[in-house]
Amino acid sequence: MFASAKNWLAPAVASDLPVVVVPSARAGSAIALEDVTLRVAAPEGELEILAGASLRIAAGEFVCLLGPSGSGKSTILNLIAGLARPSAGRVLEAGSPVDGPGPDRAVVFQDAALFPWLTLRRNVEFPLELRGLPARARAARSEELLRLVHLWRFHDRYPHELSGGMRQRGAIARALAGDPAVLLMDEPFAALDAQTREILQGELERIWSGTRKTVVFVTHNVREAVRLADRVVLMGTRPGRILHEETVDLPRPRAANDARVAALSNAIARRIASEVEKVAREEADDAWVVPGSRGGGDPRRHLGRGI
Amino acid sequence: MAILVVIWAAASEIARTPLAPGPVAVGAAIAAGVRDGTLLRALVTSTARLVAGYVVALLLGVPLGIALARSTLVKQTVGPIVLGLGSVPSICWLPLAILWFGLSEWAIQLVVVLGASLPVAVATENSVKHVPPSIERAARTMGARGARLMITVTLPAALPGILGGARVGWTFALRSLMAGELLFVSGGLGQLLETGRDLGDTALVLAVVVVIVGLGRASELLLFARADRAIARRWGVEGT
Repeated sequence: MFASAKNWLAPAVASDLPVVVVPSARAGSAIALEDVTLRVAAPEGELEILAGASLRIAAGEFVCLLGPSGSGKSTILNLIAGLARPSAGRVLEAGSPVDGPGPDRAVVFQDAALFPWLTLRRNVEFPLELRGLPARARAARSEELLRLVHLWRFHDRYPHELSGGMRQRGAIARALAGDPAVLLMDEPFAALDAQTREILQGELERIWSGTRKTVVFVTHNVREAVRLADRVVLMGTRPGRILHEETVDLPRPRAANDARVAALSNAIARRIASEVEKVAREEADDAWVVPGSRGGGDPRRHLGRGI
Repeated sequence: MAILVVIWAAASEIARTPLAPGPVAVGAAIAAGVRDGTLLRALVTSTARLVAGYVVALLLGVPLGIALARSTLVKQTVGPIVLGLGSVPSICWLPLAILWFGLSEWAIQLVVVLGASLPVAVATENSVKHVPPSIERAARTMGARGARLMITVTLPAALPGILGGARVGWTFALRSLMAGELLFVSGGLGQLLETGRDLGDTALVLAVVVVIVGLGRASELLLFARADRAIARRWGVEGT
């Protein structure tokens, strides 16, 4: 519990983490969502994507948003990124309202979204070019970053020549290039195979430990959330909303197969099982019941019990 | 290719009619055309028209395609007109163009530009629409907006598709130009074809056809094949 308090205020770097040379100056900034609601027009009327979500994220904190599809976790990410605007409520970064996308909040997408017509290096330099940085400074910075993600050897390759994991590492390097205060990650490892995902989780933990950026990481993978986060925010559906927050006070670096990570993952998985089942039910026939699920479900099925 | 020429030679030997000249006669006609300058002059005239009309078509078609992809107002007002005009062979506009501009370069250029710009616009619209949203969102989070976003991200991302349209536009331009030159006399390869017909000179007619085929192949190899290779190297796919 002491570790919990320590994590909360200033997540400590475990002493056995490898020392990273961090090519960055700006540390993370705090984020706050104040009673944020997002409604969009839909064929059947107005649809509430996110209902009254409030969330405080400390500077330098690593937060995972965890929930089934339709729980509004990517919506929260888009709101912080400035790619969407709240219908009600406020989104604050470092105390000031978010007004559109900005280079202080970088996003890593599930499909990496590297520009196919640019080499890996030019991709990493793109945000620096937008900012008008001279070519020599860009070159130095992109080399630094590509070395950080272990891709320097491939700097003149085009994205299609790289594997999915390499592309995600490149996307992380590009996101870090503009030295953002906040790193927003939208299921960045979801499309990767299990081994690659685990390696990248380790790399992300290492990079985060060195940079102290605020990270908001969206995932539907419980184990991934517990392995990475200081705090896991559980989300539910219809409408998308925040259900519960769970502080993860396990020492770093963590391993995905760590017994404590597994135990906490199982506890969280049980907690969101009914939400997952709700989604599964909506996406299948009405009569379908999630195999092996206990509790929840159709109350009519239990009418005979206890009479 | 060589086999086809041999078959052609054999067939014209068997037919033994001035209506079906062999490769030797056609080759002689080409040589004569080059010597007295008529064929070269016509080739230069047609190529200059083609390039001028094509460049104008690209300058009109690409922005029109972008506007169609990005503005609902433009899509709903101009969109049906573009689709409607696109289904009309552009040579149908020649009579109107002649009434407007007389027998001038303007008339023939109108036909070429109309023929080439519409496929370019349609292809640009489609490929801009199908740029993966995450590419543009990523650029926006890095601070790219407005015209800069369009020029540095959206258009490069749409380039393979736009190039496909540019290629179709080129063949449309060539066809429109030849049809236009055949119909009214003012230099160019089309007119030379017409001259060959008037003189009953089948060798000359075929010589011009060979030159037109050569023009098409050369532009294909010099322009589009190169662009395709560049696209394939970067995107890892063949351009359309």
